[in-house]
Amino acid sequence: MSKKNQRARALAYGGGTFLLLLFLWEILVRMTDSQIPFPTPFAVIERFVDMLFHNVGYYYTIVGHVLWSLSRVLAGFCMAAVLGIVLGLTMGWFPYVRAIFMPIFNLLRPIAPLAWIPLAILWFGIGEKYKYFLIFIAAFVPFTLNSYAGATHVDKQLVGAAKMLGANNAQVFFEIVVPAAVPSIFSGAQVALSNSWMTMLAAEMVCATEGIGWIIIAGQAVNDMTQMIAGMLAIGIVGFLLANGMRLLERRCLVWNNQGN
Amino acid sequence: MEQSGKLKMKCQNLSKTFRTPNGSFEVLKDLTFDVRENEFLVIFGPGQCGKTTLLYMLAGLEGCTAGTVEHNGQLVEEPHHSRAVVYQTMALFPWMTVKRNVGFSQKVRKVDKQKREQDTQKFIDLVGLTGFENSYPVQLSGGMKQRVGIARAYCGDPDVLLMDEPFGHLDAQTRYMMQESLENIWENEKRTVVFVTNNIEEALYLADRIILLTDCPGQICKEYTIDMPRPRSLVDPEFLRLRKEITQQMNANESNSLSAGNRAEMEQK
Repeated sequence: MSKKNQRARALAYGGGTFLLLLFLWEILVRMTDSQIPFPTPFAVIERFVDMLFHNVGYYYTIVGHVLWSLSRVLAGFCMAAVLGIVLGLTMGWFPYVRAIFMPIFNLLRPIAPLAWIPLAILWFGIGEKYKYFLIFIAAFVPFTLNSYAGATHVDKQLVGAAKMLGANNAQVFFEIVVPAAVPSIFSGAQVALSNSWMTMLAAEMVCATEGIGWIIIAGQAVNDMTQMIAGMLAIGIVGFLLANGMRLLERRCLVWNNQGN
Repeated sequence: MEQSGKLKMKCQNLSKTFRTPNGSFEVLKDLTFDVRENEFLVIFGPGQCGKTTLLYMLAGLEGCTAGTVEHNGQLVEEPHHSRAVVYQTMALFPWMTVKRNVGFSQKVRKVDKQKREQDTQKFIDLVGLTGFENSYPVQLSGGMKQRVGIARAYCGDPDVLLMDEPFGHLDAQTRYMMQESLENIWENEKRTVVFVTNNIEEALYLADRIILLTDCPGQICKEYTIDMPRPRSLVDPEFLRLRKEITQQMNANESNSLSAGNRAEMEQK
């Protein structure tokens, strides 16, 4: 069977299951008689489309809320990328840096980002900074760990080859260790991104006046299940797009690592 | 010509012992030999006789347990770009294009950019990779990768080229082609070469001089000067005669060490 055929078939199976699920959902809602009416899938989609054009809350459409959320994720994620990659790579390559920072890092690493919420609010208030901080914590750990792993697993023969060709220690680090670690850093970035996306929701649900997490919490406050589910739908769509965007970027940047062609 | 050549490298009483959890393990024992300017010296020996270790010691990548290596009268203690290595595993930088791999040495040594570009192109052309300047190693075949390895070594302006079974991972056909190419390259750009192999045909095809090592611990068994005219034919009577002679010598070594081993076993019982 040709590859194209296979793909078409996979799509048909996946789509079929999805439609079946929607159908079951619709049936179940019609058959049950609940106090709080559970929305049908069409109601959710209708509301979702409505949210694209009309404000949820006073100020923003759902696009505006998503942009708020994304701006928070971006800020925390970028800070974590810079610090995490620098710390991870240097810990992985320089024994002194590892000796100094590894114990502290290992101690803080298992503390989940959510455990920082109360402290973060005390330190930074309930504004943007507190959210940046939480997202930073969530993304920092995978960035550091994967950069570290990348730097420690550099092919020693490549290091030897670079030295034979006249590279000094700094050049070995920047020309060999750093690029060799990039694939590992990318897989860290993938984890960091999904961690940030999740932590952002928690941060917004605790205190925010806008953002995708806020939409869900605001829906709960007025018993509007349709709004909550439409918000969740937005989370799914944006999360999916982010992960795929990252994969695309990775494929662009790592042409040399593609075994296929 | 070999005897009259200028002294390039000098190895005196080289020994190497690895310490393992199960005790120490002697790989090389008391090797003394010279490498002369512009000669093609092949170090030939059976499987695991420490040939690669020896080459790494010449390079300065590996320390000696005893003895000294000198290069142009200077003690070899660490890697230096005047000695270039071509690896069995190629060891190309996978994130760099062919061009950047080849130019790496001149780049890190901050050689003038114009000279770098000229030299890079010159050696890419010399090894026959014109048109592949912007390919990544992953896009090349095994033989082409090793051509990059050779060009990269040449482009660092080395005084000595150290080649560690560079064609060991290639299939037989590619291997013959690469041997021919290497000879051509070397005739065009004469350098001192120390070439390690366990393939007798390869050794006889390329060498000005062959040093035959014994099996573990590696010791110098015999030296052969090969003065057949180049390019050599694999079925030339002289070629076949030498091939037979050296193979017999190697087999004799093996059966010696085997019987020595048997004797030791008997004595233990």
